[in-house]
Amino acid sequence: MKKLTGLQKQVLGLYRGFLRAARSKGPEDRKKIESYVSSEFRNNAKNVERKNFIYIEYLLRRGTKQLDQLKTVETVSTFTVPSRSGN
Amino acid sequence: MALRAAILGHLRVPVQTLTQNGRALQSWNLLNLNRSMSSHDDHLDKQEVIDRVVSVVKSFPKVDPAKVTPEVHFQNDLGLDSLDTVEIVMALEEEFKLEIPDKEADKIDSCKLAVEYIANHPMSS
Repeated sequence: MKKLTGLQKQVLGLYRGFLRAARSKGPEDRKKIESYVSSEFRNNAKNVERKNFIYIEYLLRRGTKQLDQLKTVETVSTFTVPSRSGN
Repeated sequence: MALRAAILGHLRVPVQTLTQNGRALQSWNLLNLNRSMSSHDDHLDKQEVIDRVVSVVKSFPKVDPAKVTPEVHFQNDLGLDSLDTVEIVMALEEEFKLEIPDKEADKIDSCKLAVEYIANHPMSS
């Protein structure tokens, strides 16, 4: 495997964090979170320019905040609404 | 009354086993059965780990099950990306009831490494 950069590791770590957080929810919420998170990450992986570090770092910070929110919140309703701060 | 009887009946069980403990333990050791009796603190059989890892990877939606071998590399051989690899490692965590720290999880990129990690992990079950 190609060696991962620090930034890539952070992204994968965040992805793992989301999947872990999803596990602690009910089966239905879990599925919703997993499919939302997976499509977000895949979309960004496809569409964000690899060298656009500033934007990737911004997405990382935003994702980390959303993950913290997801961990504390009881339901996923606030999470599944399309993000207001988007693009 | 029924509850009381049930509790008493239950309580008697450990007392009985206690009296036989010495002999029972001895015969287990003789027959080398203590392995299958204990719940953790000894490792899973390596072949069992291999079989379960392979079957988890085979059941991953994007994977062609025919291509999965105990040595298969997730990205080079199965055409998966790094996000898929994270998902597979997470699925393996669930299968073996482990939590793999990020640092270790980042290294697992093939069935072979997964088997190695899990077979050597004392909490795998």
